Amino acid sequence: MLLTLGFGIVTASILALSAVAFTLEYGVTNVANVSHGEILTVGAYAAYLTHQRTGSAIIAAIAAALAGGVVALAMYSSLIGPFIRFGATPTVIFIATLGMSFVIQNTLVIFFGAANVAYTLDPGAPHQVGPFLFTPLDEEIVASAIAITVVLFLIISRTKFGKALRAVSQNRELARVSGINATRVAASTFFLAGLIAGYAGFVLAAFVGSFTPYFGFGFFLITLTAAVAGGLGRAVGTVAGAVIVGIILEVLPALPVPFVGGYISASYNLAFAFAILAIVILVRPRGLFTSARRTVFE
Amino acid sequence: MTAYLVSILTEGAIFGIMALGLNVIWGWSGDFDLAYYGYIAVGAYMTLVLTIGPASATPPAQYILGLQLPYPLAVVIAVITAMAVSLVVGSIALRHLRGIYFSIVTLGAVYVMYVIAGQFVPLFNGYNGLSGLFDPMGDVLGLDYNSYQYFFLGLSLVMFVLVYILMARVSSSRFGLALRTLREDERAAAAFGRDIYRLKLKGYVLGAALGGFGGALFAAYLSAFNPSAWAPIEVIVLYAAVLVGGRGNIRGVTLGVLIMGVLVQESTRFLPQIPVLGDLNTHHPQVLLAMRGVVIGLVLVLFLRFRPQGLLPERRFVDRQAAPDITPRIITTNSEASP
Repeated sequence: MLLTLGFGIVTASILALSAVAFTLEYGVTNVANVSHGEILTVGAYAAYLTHQRTGSAIIAAIAAALAGGVVALAMYSSLIGPFIRFGATPTVIFIATLGMSFVIQNTLVIFFGAANVAYTLDPGAPHQVGPFLFTPLDEEIVASAIAITVVLFLIISRTKFGKALRAVSQNRELARVSGINATRVAASTFFLAGLIAGYAGFVLAAFVGSFTPYFGFGFFLITLTAAVAGGLGRAVGTVAGAVIVGIILEVLPALPVPFVGGYISASYNLAFAFAILAIVILVRPRGLFTSARRTVFE
Repeated sequence: MTAYLVSILTEGAIFGIMALGLNVIWGWSGDFDLAYYGYIAVGAYMTLVLTIGPASATPPAQYILGLQLPYPLAVVIAVITAMAVSLVVGSIALRHLRGIYFSIVTLGAVYVMYVIAGQFVPLFNGYNGLSGLFDPMGDVLGLDYNSYQYFFLGLSLVMFVLVYILMARVSSSRFGLALRTLREDERAAAAFGRDIYRLKLKGYVLGAALGGFGGALFAAYLSAFNPSAWAPIEVIVLYAAVLVGGRGNIRGVTLGVLIMGVLVQESTRFLPQIPVLGDLNTHHPQVLLAMRGVVIGLVLVLFLRFRPQGLLPERRFVDRQAAPDITPRIITTNSEASP
């Protein structure tokens, strides 16, 4: 039980990185970027390839982040930005990013094949930390996730760019008439989110031990659950949502099933994530941590 | 060559039925429903478990029922099951949710269905899937393997034409018009006393019924069904077909099926014969499928950006008396009087 809880904390911290990046993208564009998962996939491939050539995990992490940033920036400037300027509705852009996610996945298959790529970092010997059993790799993942989140919140709350980001998130038009270059802020936000998501892809691949061109999409579905639970576009809530969802997903399969006995297989994870997602959207469509009332025409 | 033509035409006709069903939900009612493929799968699975023999005869396989019912009866029950499932999903998702929230919840629903079909082995034999429905009705009609292919092509085409005629009638019926009203302006429809939720739900279940029916035919055509048939590439081509042809216009949807389902799907098959690309296939077998995926994804994005109404756009109904300013001015009073 405590072992899976410790596992859940690691998952939750990776999830928090991915979800906070997604929610930033959502915030500045008001569009759910379905191809967000592909940023993680590209990050994983970039990390794997650089790690093979340089042998350094730190360079691999930097490469993953940069690759993610570039891909996210390209997504914004080649697809999402033009669609917004063209006046497309959020649903249309949702479908377009779904198409793009499909294009990126299949492009990766063409270049790298669809087979599983094994990618493992030496996790080191597990040892006791408080009630949990962590490996040094787990600790590094959790510590880096916390550090990145703290830096991100400092950027959002303390810098001029952060102020512009918040302004664009709240009201794009109003921000523009106040002299903020909304397109540039959105593009920079995508780059920033891409850095985080690319790094998350590297960490996730290293934690799971392998990846495929489809691996980011699978994780995106959980990311979406976390972001919606925390409130789309709200960075603080999203981190909290990610922690809750990440822990629930790891702990739930370890609980005995009432009445029937036995355990739920972990392969039902995604189904659980979506059950949570559906319930949250239906009951609290604006996220768990808000007092705003629902509207029918959400 | 003839056998090849017969197979793509059969596939095209079945695919056309599925696309017409999706058109009810996405084209008319205007909801981007990602769960749609789930209803196709329910139709296919149910047809199989109702027509093949009991699981105990094939030891490692596990599945429910195994009733060996006649194929037409199985199809009817399969369609009803698909409708029942869609009624559950629709009554949850359509009550309050629109736009991307609806899409996300339906994506969740299809994932739950997918995981259950793949993981819960006693239901539909898990990831190994079901097989064993060979040439339904063939022995009753006394057809051999070759003539059966023609028979099934004929059956699929007749079914497609029947569905097309039915949809043409629905399209111009009060119900069809009401569905489109909801797509254009829900509040206005509500203000005119329409029960939005019930109308949308009716449309949703109607669409899912066609999906289930397409799945039932598909199961007979493939003689098997398993979770790999729900691969994203199989699913997204359906959405691309409806979009490219023209959402809301059944002629357009049919054209879209011809273009995406038959042309794009089949033309990529010949890519290895292009000299420059010839050795691509030898790298790894998924390359061709992946190239098809890239093409379909790009077509989807480009159409959304440059021609969202599709190749054959839906005809807009304009009330000339209510909105004289937005219609081209017609001078003669005669043409005003005759619609």
